[in-house]
Amino acid sequence: MPLKRDAGWAKEAIIYQVHVRAFFDSNGDGIGDFQGLAQRLDYVQEIGVNAIWLMPFFPSPLRDDGYDISDYKSVHPIYGTLDDFKTFLSGAHDRGIRVLIEMVANHTSDQHPWFVESRASQNNPKRDWYVWSDTDTRYRGTRIIFLDTEMSNWAWDPISKSYYWHRFFSHQPDLNYDEPAVRDEMWNVMKFWLELGVDGFRLDAVPYLIEREGTSCENLPETHDVIRELRKKVDDQFPGAILLAEANQWPADLRPYFGNGDEFHMAFHFPLMPRMFMGLRLEDRKPITEILQQTPEIPASCQWCLFLRNHDELTLEMVTDIERDYMYDIYASDKTMRLNLGIRRRLAPLLDNDRRRIELMNGMLMSLPGTPIIYYGDEIGMGDNIYLGDRNGVRTPMQWSGSWNGGFSTADPERLYSPPILNPVYGYQAVNVLSQRRTEHSLFSWMKHIIRIRRSSPVFGAGSIEFLYPENHRVLAYIRQLGKETVLVVNNLSSAAQAVELDLGRYKGNILIEMFGRNVFPRIGDLPYLLTMGPYQFYWFRLRRI
Amino acid sequence: MAEETLLADDFLRQLINVGEVDILVGLPTHNNAKTIEPVIRAIQTGILKCFPRERAVIINADGGSQDRTPELVVGASIGDVWSASKVYALRTMHSISTRYARSPDPGTALRTILAAADLLRAKACVVVSPDSTTIEPDWIQRLVLPVYNDNFDLVSPIYRRQKFEGALMRNLLYPMTRAIYGYRVREPYASEFGISGRLATDFLTKETWNDERSRIGAEICLTITAITGKYRVCQSFLGPKAQPDRSASDLVAAMRQTVGALFSSLDSSFPLWSTIAGSQPVPTLGAPSEVMLEPVRVNRKRLREMFATGVAQLEPVFRSILSASTLFELQRIATLDVSEFNYPADLWAKTVFEFAASYHKSVISRDHIVQALVPLYRGRTLTLLLESRDGSEEDIEKSLESLCGEFERLKPYLLEVWADRK
Repeated sequence: MPLKRDAGWAKEAIIYQVHVRAFFDSNGDGIGDFQGLAQRLDYVQEIGVNAIWLMPFFPSPLRDDGYDISDYKSVHPIYGTLDDFKTFLSGAHDRGIRVLIEMVANHTSDQHPWFVESRASQNNPKRDWYVWSDTDTRYRGTRIIFLDTEMSNWAWDPISKSYYWHRFFSHQPDLNYDEPAVRDEMWNVMKFWLELGVDGFRLDAVPYLIEREGTSCENLPETHDVIRELRKKVDDQFPGAILLAEANQWPADLRPYFGNGDEFHMAFHFPLMPRMFMGLRLEDRKPITEILQQTPEIPASCQWCLFLRNHDELTLEMVTDIERDYMYDIYASDKTMRLNLGIRRRLAPLLDNDRRRIELMNGMLMSLPGTPIIYYGDEIGMGDNIYLGDRNGVRTPMQWSGSWNGGFSTADPERLYSPPILNPVYGYQAVNVLSQRRTEHSLFSWMKHIIRIRRSSPVFGAGSIEFLYPENHRVLAYIRQLGKETVLVVNNLSSAAQAVELDLGRYKGNILIEMFGRNVFPRIGDLPYLLTMGPYQFYWFRLRRI
Repeated sequence: MAEETLLADDFLRQLINVGEVDILVGLPTHNNAKTIEPVIRAIQTGILKCFPRERAVIINADGGSQDRTPELVVGASIGDVWSASKVYALRTMHSISTRYARSPDPGTALRTILAAADLLRAKACVVVSPDSTTIEPDWIQRLVLPVYNDNFDLVSPIYRRQKFEGALMRNLLYPMTRAIYGYRVREPYASEFGISGRLATDFLTKETWNDERSRIGAEICLTITAITGKYRVCQSFLGPKAQPDRSASDLVAAMRQTVGALFSSLDSSFPLWSTIAGSQPVPTLGAPSEVMLEPVRVNRKRLREMFATGVAQLEPVFRSILSASTLFELQRIATLDVSEFNYPADLWAKTVFEFAASYHKSVISRDHIVQALVPLYRGRTLTLLLESRDGSEEDIEKSLESLCGEFERLKPYLLEVWADRK
């Protein structure tokens, strides 16, 4: 069945984030590939998600896991061919699964032919495709993002004897979006993939596209001009395709990226994620309600993207100093776990492999307003390896079974792109898809169940939210509403049982139907509605007037 | 359990919502609207600054205020603290209030606070006076940290006082508690203090609450419980303490609350205190606060008159309380005018001990015994004023040490009169 050409699909989506390299190796070379991914699409469909977000798979020196692209219109040979990609894309669409790919628009690899040309001489026609300077003192008000590795946003190029601008690693020169030819070429890149059938792009590092003296070089009006231009082209030529912003900013700074519904369709809600972890350990809803109160309204056609973990560190840029210290102490007491301003760990280890906490966090992910993203492997509770460099510890091979290389590859283990997780708690022999498929009460089975329930009602994707503020601060409760459908969500953030009284006076006369077991709870009367909740328990109730 | 009947259902419901806490700050109030807001603000700031990660609650036990004191406590916003002090709250901080009675009863207020601390399993509980207008946010840290980090069970304050303030403490409560129980706790009856959860729980089980005289002086009983129960006691320097305006009738009430409770405690703890000789210092934390030497106007003539009148009018009462030699000496002093007036330390110690023994034996109504001590106390206060009028901080401290020394030296005399009144 052909997929609808309507960007509204994004609100009903549950996105599965996958790295081709890490998912399944079809040819035994130790590296995951598109043929392997295509072979495992039934698994992705089984989870219940309806969209995949692929991390970069383009030709690249792979010095930043593919975010250093050297050719935007091809597939890295280690992952297969463009035809392999097309086969995968078609297989996904056949299963009703949309595909989002990365658009690393801010910078290229220093191996990209554009940069090779640009640096060749100061007179090269592509010289202005990048940001060059005779000094390293321009744009001084700009922060350095990769504090652990970079001393400056300028790097000296010995070939053309000048400095080039880079917001990330020095081997990732920033493109110059003041140059019309760059904008044209980047649209050509997007058009190339859209014509192949991809359903949208995650635009990487969008706040940094434009630089201006005397500013922080982030979130500049000219950046929004670039985005509006791209969005218009997408809407005009590829209706139904979406743009997802990666902009690690405060909600108020993020809001402009939705424009008047004419910039991004979706944006990650970065500040919410660490506060969900914080709220859980503090056993207090305050961090979560506070950040959502500060989150401005967005145009009706737009949507937040929510996530618990992803391929990067758990970023702590959008928290206060006191919050960051707390998060480090609680979730990354071993300094090896820290990277830049964040924590490089997967979901299960962060939560001490506590099934109740993992379920609660996923419950909130699925019920707060936004489109949830599940990072590959988190659906089975995969662990990490903090002793691998950079963020590689959360990018280890998918664990399919307890057999050779966890079922990921038939290659010799030494040949794998990354050692699989081997420890007795999180290793592939303990945590894998095969064993969890066989168990009705496994995390995997539970994840499938909650995803099915989430998808059973559009209220979670598109409904309004209204927080209830019961006096028990350990309980986070909210009403989701869309049309005539009303869902009450109650989360106990505490490790102990809690009693909570909810003011549901407005819904007097309704009965509550618990959505997981479909059990009926007593009718709402005049008194506050009393619920008792086990540790880390949560309820989703559909309200019905019968 | 006592707290089951002590705590009102509505208060209990609020406590359920608060849940387990690390720090509980108790605020006993009665018509404190004029002073409560800065006190609350200091408490909130203190918690946020020093204990941002800890679960904290402010509990107001109100004795029937008519001036909206509880509403001011509950309505104090953390947001205001954030804007004023730029301290950020990681957690929800509850401020809840309960009216334990229609009229104030400090003992019940304290008991309510301690019962809440017990129910909420507070690791540290701090009680703050609602009229401490000189309170600084750091007070919270100074009262909590010794409990929280160093496992002390009672943190007693040391204030920076004007040299004539705290006379009851200096003349009577401190020297006597020190001599009786052998610990140098400078403020055995404090309006601010910190205690551990385990001491709070233990103290709730004591007989104190069943005896009205003890209950009204529950704070001093708490200090005595900590000392006699071998709990870890320390002192913490706080800073200047504003002395609320007190009328003459307040002194009688204060004597009942403090001296009455102290005398009362001697009955049950006799086996313990009777074997103690001398005294030992308790650990004292923080930077010492010097005595404030600013002059204060005191009507010395009136103090002398009140003493002399009391000695004359209460002579029949004194005959049943005091030894003949003590009474004779007091009558002699009563004839002296202000310039010659001197109520010496040894005589004062003997007087207090004879009162304590008479209280023990209930020679007359115990209340009357305590009341009868009031004019004599005024005489002793006059002597203190005269002695320290031009004294330096060192002189004042020396004089206090000398007085305490007399109480300790004469403790055998107390044992003597205790057993067989002379």
